[in-house]
Amino acid sequence: MWKYIFKRLVLLVFTLFLVTTATFFLMQIMPGTPFNNPKLTPEALAQLKTTYGLDLPVWQQYLNYLVGAAHGDFGTSFQYQNQSVSMLIGQRLPVSAQLGAQALVVGVIAGLFMGAASARNKNNKIDGTLGIISTLGISIPSFILGIVLVYLFGFKWPLFPVSGWGDSFSQTILPTLALAVSPAAVTTRFVRSEMIESLSSDYVQLAKAKGLSAKEVVNQHAYRNSMIPVLTLIGPMAAGLLTGSTLIEQIFSIPGIGQQFVLSIPSKDFPVIMGTTIVYSAMLMVMILITDILTAIVDPRVRLQ
Amino acid sequence: MSNPILKVENLHVNFNTYAGTVQAIRDVSFDLNKGETLAIVGESGSGKSVTTKTLMGLNAKNASIPDNSRLIFKDRNLLDLKEEEWQTIRGNEIAMIFQDPMTSLDPTMKIGMQIAEPLMKHRKMKKEDALKRALELMKGVGIPNSEEHINDYPHQWSGGMRQRAVVAIALAADPEILIADEPTTALDVTIQAQILNLMKSLQKETSSSIIFITHDLGVVAGMANRVAVMYAGKIVEYGTVDEIFFNPQHPYTWGLLNSMPTTDTQIGSLEAIPGTPPDLLDPPKGDAFASRNVYALAIDSKEEPPFFKVSDTHYAATWLLDERSPKVTPPVQIQKRWARWQEIQGQEA
Repeated sequence: MWKYIFKRLVLLVFTLFLVTTATFFLMQIMPGTPFNNPKLTPEALAQLKTTYGLDLPVWQQYLNYLVGAAHGDFGTSFQYQNQSVSMLIGQRLPVSAQLGAQALVVGVIAGLFMGAASARNKNNKIDGTLGIISTLGISIPSFILGIVLVYLFGFKWPLFPVSGWGDSFSQTILPTLALAVSPAAVTTRFVRSEMIESLSSDYVQLAKAKGLSAKEVVNQHAYRNSMIPVLTLIGPMAAGLLTGSTLIEQIFSIPGIGQQFVLSIPSKDFPVIMGTTIVYSAMLMVMILITDILTAIVDPRVRLQ
Repeated sequence: MSNPILKVENLHVNFNTYAGTVQAIRDVSFDLNKGETLAIVGESGSGKSVTTKTLMGLNAKNASIPDNSRLIFKDRNLLDLKEEEWQTIRGNEIAMIFQDPMTSLDPTMKIGMQIAEPLMKHRKMKKEDALKRALELMKGVGIPNSEEHINDYPHQWSGGMRQRAVVAIALAADPEILIADEPTTALDVTIQAQILNLMKSLQKETSSSIIFITHDLGVVAGMANRVAVMYAGKIVEYGTVDEIFFNPQHPYTWGLLNSMPTTDTQIGSLEAIPGTPPDLLDPPKGDAFASRNVYALAIDSKEEPPFFKVSDTHYAATWLLDERSPKVTPPVQIQKRWARWQEIQGQEA
């Protein structure tokens, strides 16, 4: 088990190296320059390029970046002068991660209950209603839900603050809900189909033939079995949520990393693009690793090696 | 033999589907005596599996059973039971052995625990005690080194071993009736024999009654005391195992016996029953088997045959047994069987 995790971590570092390399050279072929202020004199421009090492040959820049990254130095932002990328990410990622984690917990728990309820009431009114809700949840973009939530609970019935971060927990409630709807809907539909399959399986028939009640059959047999495929869904979902949502952060004025990543691309803030891409990839791979470990715990047929 | 443990009377089971009402069971009656094995034989779609599910109260939600159908077990009509009452019977007084051991065990639960579950439910045993009993049951069904394997998961076991575990689950709460739904169909022949022998020896120990559902007449010969032959949702012939094998009267039984290879069978001469079973959405008038029956009489397509008595234990629903019907000569194989029957009767007399 530990050996397996170690192997996966080594692989993770190697993958990160590939991602870094690919991103670095992709940025090189991106047109434009970070310094496009028309007021800059050619001398000043040359000065800036020397400061950031952009006058060096590409391979030299690449090596410098790798050496720096290996030492934990991801460079300095072009946009926010003198702000190191590590600091920028270090300040903003925890905000996004907290919001994302809250949304994940709310969304997945809601999805598990609604999906199971839907499957157990297959093709009746409860199932139909939950089906409509989850379809809406998947198809309505989170920013529209965000605005609706702001209108309803910030303006019509002002129960929660509508913007800001870090002052009180109540500030996190509306953005968490807005962000949780889509994962809740996706989980609901997935759990429903897995649960229906599980409930029609032979081992559930046998569990019923043992005299177990419908509730015992679901809790002792169907849930565990239908969770195995659901786990594979939750891993990438978690990575997506923890790395921030640009639109939700914008609507609720949350100083997260999602916004930062998007803004860094048009402004050609190379070190920030590189830094956030590496963080995203690392998060995704760690989440997938965690999912694999959890799958091995839940499913005895899976052995990690 | 006059005190049956289970009486099935006028059982009808219909399924309401979009296409209409499927009459899966059309008036089935039989008795099950204590300690005996009753085999129910028939091809796919004859209603064998629906019969077992009805006996377990596990029919699909779209099933409907008319009020005059009765399943009498211990002075109660099981068809009147609520779901909660069914739960005290299932796995406790009536248990079931499933067909496919590869899919009928929960892949995520330890086998010992799966055997212990009915004990915890019906005997209100604590987990430790139930697991101790599960270990005894595992030994009872012949699982070698049971102590080492009680914490195994199903995927670690072979099909034959898993079917032993399925048998152990069914036997856990010491049921009075054991329903075996084609318990050896999914196993290879040597393992089949092991499981059948296991069931026979366990039945001797516990004196439980077995309803053995199968399409394999070879298995029936070794297992059953009595046989009921089902066709298109009805029983068409029933009798003791010797009566069905050596003195069959219904042309469908003849067809089934003829399609079973014996030591006399010549290469390339294995026979099949022509045609397919009727559509039970709209069952044919008269004898449902008439359209596939080379011995069919004119009356078969007009009127359904009643049961004719062959002996006190042997009845068959075919007009051929009516005194007005012409005498027909059955297939050669069946004539041989009849000759053997005469010998047996002669020896006994």
